[in-house]
Amino acid sequence: MAALSNKSDQEIKDLLDEYGIKHGPVVDTTRPLYEKKLKEAMAKAKVTVTKPSPDRTFYREDQEEVTYVTCQTPVRSEGPSGDGKPYMRSRPEYSERDRVDDKPYSRPEYSERNRVDDKPYSRPEYSEIDRVDDKPYSRPEYSEIDRVDDKPYSRSKLEYRERDRVDDKPYSRSKPEYRERDRVDDKLYSRSRPEYSSGRQYIDEPHVYNTPSSSSSYSKPTPVMKSGGVVKKENTTSSGRLIPLWIQFLVFLIVAGFLYFIFTNMESAESSPFNKIQ
Amino acid sequence: MSTTSQKHRDFVGEPMGDKPVTALSGIGEVLGNKLEEQGFDRAFVVLGQYLLLRKDGELFTEWLKDTSGANTRNATSCSQCLREWCDSFL
Repeated sequence: MAALSNKSDQEIKDLLDEYGIKHGPVVDTTRPLYEKKLKEAMAKAKVTVTKPSPDRTFYREDQEEVTYVTCQTPVRSEGPSGDGKPYMRSRPEYSERDRVDDKPYSRPEYSERNRVDDKPYSRPEYSEIDRVDDKPYSRPEYSEIDRVDDKPYSRSKLEYRERDRVDDKPYSRSKPEYRERDRVDDKLYSRSRPEYSSGRQYIDEPHVYNTPSSSSSYSKPTPVMKSGGVVKKENTTSSGRLIPLWIQFLVFLIVAGFLYFIFTNMESAESSPFNKIQ
Repeated sequence: MSTTSQKHRDFVGEPMGDKPVTALSGIGEVLGNKLEEQGFDRAFVVLGQYLLLRKDGELFTEWLKDTSGANTRNATSCSQCLREWCDSFL
């Protein structure tokens, strides 16, 4: 940004309007104050351009965070020269990079989430504001569940841990999960989450255990580790399940037997029309 | 009213006329000298600056802190004093 002191009064006024700073006439006595405010606003705008990346990581893996940081700098070096819209520039990079980086996992879900991410200013604004204020995602409030919400992998993991002990009923279980989670965080992600939870149950099973441990480094380590640890326990020892395995098999056999019974009865019913009434 | 000082009440109660800057609430001798160095030797000049900033308390407080090195409390007090004076007399 060119030296503010070299700009004319009119240019200072225009910049103030651009940053949305309320101001009076730019006069000898007021000019230093406005220059100072502009400097702060520019510094803040630059900071917020980079800030979203750590916020992003709650949804992405490590790779994405790294790529964000590296790619952001060239954007910033161009400088919001006179345009107070750094968000605009960064967002296409988000979406592009998201599509690239999300390949290892279920692709369709990611692309949907990208669309979600492209909802403009809310996310980066969240990122800079949330850390300070009330975190609209309300991450701390939700404790277990919310931690899960921010990390799609850990979320599906949580589903596994608490509810998905029976693997043969993924969809029924995932639906109540995202229903209640939709109520809970009624934001951009709610729409895309159902796709996550239902589609990801099977696909991401192996990955689910890996990513949280990797993402735990920068996001909330304790809860993620906890959920990762529990999941690992579940993986290794089946005794950690809420519903014992033999009960699940029993239920399955009962259901299968019931369906077979119905099927056989149906067969016998079919044969009857062929008997002519004599 | 109970939270305002006597100085505040004295200033806000009547037109300021040619009162010195030290008559403003929150502006003592030290701050007054600093303001006078900057050219703000009368209360009405500071009022002028307040009006130039569109009577925005936050902007004015920030300006006062930058110009005279006032702390937040004094700057806020001066801003409040001017606002109330304007409400009555402007």
